[in-house]
Amino acid sequence: MATNETLASERLNAQVMQLLSGVSEHGDQHLAEVERDLVQMDVLLDEAIKKLCASFMAIHHAVGQQQEALNGLLADGVPSPESAARFEALRGEIDKHVGAAVTGLQFQDMTSQLIGRMVQHLAGLRDVFGALDTSGSVLPESNNEALLATLSHISDRVGTCCTERAGGVRSTVNQRHMESGDIELF
Amino acid sequence: MSKTILAVDDSGSLRQMLAFSLKAAGYGVIEAVDGQDGLNKAKQHQVDLVLTDQNMPGMDGLSLIKALRALKNYQSVPILMLTTESGDDIKAMGRAAGANGWLVKPFDPARLTEVVKKLIG
Repeated sequence: MATNETLASERLNAQVMQLLSGVSEHGDQHLAEVERDLVQMDVLLDEAIKKLCASFMAIHHAVGQQQEALNGLLADGVPSPESAARFEALRGEIDKHVGAAVTGLQFQDMTSQLIGRMVQHLAGLRDVFGALDTSGSVLPESNNEALLATLSHISDRVGTCCTERAGGVRSTVNQRHMESGDIELF
Repeated sequence: MSKTILAVDDSGSLRQMLAFSLKAAGYGVIEAVDGQDGLNKAKQHQVDLVLTDQNMPGMDGLSLIKALRALKNYQSVPILMLTTESGDDIKAMGRAAGANGWLVKPFDPARLTEVVKKLIG
């Protein structure tokens, strides 16, 4: 038959295990979210930079071609219909590349939102660890009952701060690529 | 006389690109940094179209649309949402609030101006 002391020890062990698994579970949740956002941000930044590089190189190439056409025009004296058509085509090409660059440049708006969300998750993690602070209330000479009460209180605090944070970190960026988004008119 | 568009977004770079794209297409652009600023500027200047982000500090896009639709002179002005969000639920909320369309970021300048032209010429 178990003594009162044994029962108290078992409850104490169970409470410690519950506390530790709570810290582990909530800490893991926050870190998984941060990891997810970092991976997504890395993809967006990578694609944006590639798009910007390609667009600016294409602009440079198109401007060079335009200059060649201009030189030809100046040498000929009178613009031929072919030259005029080539200018029009080049202008369209430059506009297209500038448009692609503008699309790529919008990465900052999305990555900024992702960073904001990660910061909230990190703050959540700090809250969890902060809730573990016993402020010296668990003294070596405390009996099991006192220790149990303290651990139970800490568990409640960890649970509360996780619940409080849970609603404030809704994901608002679902883009996985830097292609222009859908348009829907109502 | 060129048509004027109110561009509301808390991201400075996004506003810069909207202004660049819309001005290149011949529109006048007034910029606002959040919903409240957008509402104030809409009251100061009668604009022809409003383009607003959803997630902004203070007043968000949906609240701005509701506030604008409550004003007599903005009941029929086209309002477009331009946001990173694309969920059916929030789109339905935008529609119910009075938005005329939903554009998901990032935007392509040519497609954006095409939509704007369709709505206000």
